[in-house]
Amino acid sequence: MSTPTHCPYCSLQCGMRLSRRGRDTVVGTWDEFPVNEGAMCRKGWTSADLLRHRERLTTPLVRDPGTGELRAAGWDEALGIVADRIAAIQAEHGRDAVAVFGGGGLTNEKAYTIGKFARACLGTSMVDYNGRWCMSSAASAGVRAFGIDRGLPFPLADVEQTDVLLLVGSNLAETMPPAARHLDRLRERGGTVVVVDPRRTATAARADVHVQPVPGTDLALAQGLLHAVVAGGWVDQEYVDRRTVGFEAVRRSAMSWWPELTERVTGVAASQVRDLARLLGEAGRVVVLTARGAEQHAQGSDTVLAWINLALALGQCGRPYSGYGCLTGQGNGQGGREHGQKADQLPGYRSIEDPAARDHVAAVWGVEPDTLPGKGRSAYELLDALGTQGGARALLVLGSNIVVSAPNANQVTQRLDALDLLVVADVVMSETAARADVVLPVTQWAEETGTMTNLEGRVILRRKAVEPPEGVRSDLDVLAGLAERLGSPVALETDPEAVFAELARASAGGPADYAGLDYDRLTAEQGVFWPCPDTDHPGTERMFLDRFATPDGRARFHVVTHRGPAEQPCEEYPLHLTTGRVLAQYQSGAQTRRVRDLDDTGPFVELHPLVAGRIGVAHGEPVRVTTRRGTMQAPVRVVDTARPDTVFVPFHWVGANLLTNDALDPASRMPEFKVCAASVSALSPAPEGGDALPTIRPRSARPPARPDHGCGAPTHVRILDGGAPHA
Amino acid sequence: MPRQGQRLVVVGNGMAATRLVEELVAREAGLDVTVVGDEPGPSYNRILLSAVLEGTHPEAETVLQSEEFHADNGVSLLTGTRVAEVDRSVREVVLEDGRRLTYDRLVLATGSVPTLPPIRGLVTAEGRLHPKVHAFRSLADCRRLHASVPGARRAVVVGGGLLGLQVARALGVRGLEVDLVEGSSHVLSSQVGEKAGAVLARGLRRLGTEVYTHTRAVRMTDEGIRLDNGYTLPADLVVLAAGARPATAIAKRAGLFVRRGVVVDAQLRSITDDRVHALGDCAEPGGRTSGFVPPAWEQAAVLARVLAGEEARYDGSRVVARLRATGLDVAVMGDPEQAPGEVVEVANPIAGTYRKLVVRGGVIEAAVMVGDLTRVGLVTQLFDRRTVLAPDEPGRLLMTDAPAVAGPLPDDAEVCACAGVTAGRLRGCPDLATAVVRTRATTGCGGCTDVVEELVATPL
Repeated sequence: MSTPTHCPYCSLQCGMRLSRRGRDTVVGTWDEFPVNEGAMCRKGWTSADLLRHRERLTTPLVRDPGTGELRAAGWDEALGIVADRIAAIQAEHGRDAVAVFGGGGLTNEKAYTIGKFARACLGTSMVDYNGRWCMSSAASAGVRAFGIDRGLPFPLADVEQTDVLLLVGSNLAETMPPAARHLDRLRERGGTVVVVDPRRTATAARADVHVQPVPGTDLALAQGLLHAVVAGGWVDQEYVDRRTVGFEAVRRSAMSWWPELTERVTGVAASQVRDLARLLGEAGRVVVLTARGAEQHAQGSDTVLAWINLALALGQCGRPYSGYGCLTGQGNGQGGREHGQKADQLPGYRSIEDPAARDHVAAVWGVEPDTLPGKGRSAYELLDALGTQGGARALLVLGSNIVVSAPNANQVTQRLDALDLLVVADVVMSETAARADVVLPVTQWAEETGTMTNLEGRVILRRKAVEPPEGVRSDLDVLAGLAERLGSPVALETDPEAVFAELARASAGGPADYAGLDYDRLTAEQGVFWPCPDTDHPGTERMFLDRFATPDGRARFHVVTHRGPAEQPCEEYPLHLTTGRVLAQYQSGAQTRRVRDLDDTGPFVELHPLVAGRIGVAHGEPVRVTTRRGTMQAPVRVVDTARPDTVFVPFHWVGANLLTNDALDPASRMPEFKVCAASVSALSPAPEGGDALPTIRPRSARPPARPDHGCGAPTHVRILDGGAPHA
Repeated sequence: MPRQGQRLVVVGNGMAATRLVEELVAREAGLDVTVVGDEPGPSYNRILLSAVLEGTHPEAETVLQSEEFHADNGVSLLTGTRVAEVDRSVREVVLEDGRRLTYDRLVLATGSVPTLPPIRGLVTAEGRLHPKVHAFRSLADCRRLHASVPGARRAVVVGGGLLGLQVARALGVRGLEVDLVEGSSHVLSSQVGEKAGAVLARGLRRLGTEVYTHTRAVRMTDEGIRLDNGYTLPADLVVLAAGARPATAIAKRAGLFVRRGVVVDAQLRSITDDRVHALGDCAEPGGRTSGFVPPAWEQAAVLARVLAGEEARYDGSRVVARLRATGLDVAVMGDPEQAPGEVVEVANPIAGTYRKLVVRGGVIEAAVMVGDLTRVGLVTQLFDRRTVLAPDEPGRLLMTDAPAVAGPLPDDAEVCACAGVTAGRLRGCPDLATAVVRTRATTGCGGCTDVVEELVATPL
């Protein structure tokens, strides 16, 4: 007896079967599920380890004002404290003084309920989520170019049928390994795989062509390719005339990007620019996919638009086995951005500033449209304002480990510490939970049912397979319990299927229309692609075949201008720093670092041999990486896969995001995770009990009285109850 | 300080002027801008003309900004309009047709003009160029030359600089027999030394272009062009590519201080008149003129900020010259012949490659790469960013990496990254099926299947 369900991690949402063997839960394959056909990486294979983990939280914790330590509490007490504090803070400082922060790994039902809780119960505009740091630049660009944002407008397997697959800033062979099977099948068919990445990643290593630009210059590269495509006469003018608007201005803007200038800015040889343009131009079908490498920049949305411009000029979007797509990152990165946990959105991917959308959603919720707040602050701006004049004073966090995943983490951690109330709902004591005033233990993945929308826009049902441990509640229960205690004008459903039915009604008529979906259909059809406006509708596997989702049905070209990274190398910080993932870890590592059979190597620093020689360090020796915002220490890995002007640090551990830049994209509010200026120096091995590991001050070290957070010199004490990267 | 509604007149509609206008529009500077260009039609990318001649870039695709762009953004554009003079006493630009434009600020972006070499017979009695003789500066020059190619068989290019080499190759690609005449000891002599020039000349000969160095063209005849050694090169076409100088006639007549170019300060302001700015080829900031597009664009960005009332200064540019000529790979950074520093060089005339770095204090101050541009992207970055290198790095940058020798995988090498399986564990498995069950190797991305099949049941 086994339950078909889905992996807890990335947006591929591999199908798997869970079965019981004694007290243990065992992962097996679900070969019939089409997206992964039974394949899984080690994260999926070992995912059940988290279900009965010794570090699992099973009781609410409340910080004792006397000792400053967390102590166990009952649910009634914990929820009562939270509700009372929220009520008091809102009474004194206004409704926006309480903020809610969600996550792209949460189910659609939770994302929907978070938005409803914030708007209808708390009446706060301050709700956003970590998906803002994931694919928001691609989302913003997709809406502007195509009128709608569905990461992939076609099934992932379509890439096997194209002629040239161009991956920009995606390391899918490590981030979603089963997806790499499509690359091999495409190559077996005679197709060509091109990877654009400053590092020679595992994905680049299995590509036919690897283009290795300077970090932060993807936009310029796209412009240079468009230039060469125009020069070569490879523009599909008939398509451009029939299906698009705005090409002339874009074509002229590309005329400033001749290959030798592109070479100077991007570091990609002019000859390679010309060769790649020819490859793209002479191919019948081209698929361009971007991921975080192209998107997590202060010019991320313009960078995506530049690649969309190229795909449109080649006449590829809205044709079978062709076009542009974004490889979403988090498990429910797609659905999480559709149902209202984003500061500017209502369910169904509706704009919170659209009066008709407000009327519709207010009617479903049974409230007056006027009572719904307007657009709130984006994720980083919300966090950056915590505890300041006009910023929130209480924060409720669900499904996110901000202390590790936010950019400029020192600053964010200071802001968290300045709150009057921090409430974190999580499965384990994450680095963020460790700083909370109240920690609420919640159910995870296989202990609850809910829907996820994978990277293809396929809505799937992730079924409950095991009973949760005694003492934990679902996020839906937590929100409903708080709503009740706060005397909310609306009641919140706690049954996922009932929430989904309500979500479907709320999304009806919106861009991400789920109105025709229910759990039975999702089960019977192994997922359904949105939009699916009614029960007779088959769902929409491939979008844009007849028209784009713009008023006139045409796609939009956008003129974009390369400005380069917000921070350029200089004498003091002479290297580019870029961040990314490793195969054995997921996101902030709160889950995967605790799985016994996943290597927890701790953070490391990748350097090219030339840079290692320049600094005078050998493989394995500790180095210090410093930026204008912070510093970390970790052992060096000397690899020839790096550019000799770029240092790489994975972000699954505390460290990388102490360094990253919080410069934001003007359209998507995406921080510039992928490039900033850094210096690296050799470090003699740390003395016993020394500071060889990146650290954040544990919150329990602070005195119970409000400390002065402005002048805390960094202390180097290991987190005892969180992180434990080397435990 | 500049204010909203101030009248700005830009003399010139080339690449520097166009970028300046784009920058002003992007900054919403609010100035009342008029651009006066002597060439007809919209501004275009001059860099692309040799590719247009070669036939690898369509002429229509050289336009940088259409006239609609100017109109849409409230910029008056007068094309095909010559400026007669600038009357600074009343702040007026006088056009050849007598119209006068009053300015609060004036920008000179007049570019450069080709130098005519001292060749007798170049200009006819009527004061026109000999019908076989072509300049190669403007789109009109390019069109005229382009149109002459089909009827021609032999061409002579006078001047072995960047432009001369590009034109020679473009005509070669179009199927003409091309001779190149260079007065100095080697081609590209203002950028590189004799060794690099020799490698380059050899490359040109290999591509079918004969190169005559130490040779001057002295007389245009009906047969062709006579050299100072008495020999006559038969030619249906002669292209002059003997350099260019800043176009400063208007500035001089207006009484502005001109050395080689219009002398300007770090705000690109004439040192004579702070209402007058100059940028691009005609300007001389920091005692240097440039002749390249990227410095002109960097100046445009600075000047737009200055004109918008912001603090900005221009402190010079790193110059990278890249030859755009099919079959010839050349990159020159900085001034490799003059820049002080230690020289690291690798020449392989057999392979037709020459590479040189001039390094001072660990920083690449100049570089030459001929025939092998494998590392051009990286070296350009290190040069542009003034990265301080370790003593052994310049040498390592110039040497090709030795090919890796493949041996058997060590037992601790990770073979299946998805499942985290080493070669040693796989060697201990009797067959693939057992390996899959025991280790889960091959169950993720599947990329390791071939290696796993080879490893199972094979002791090291």
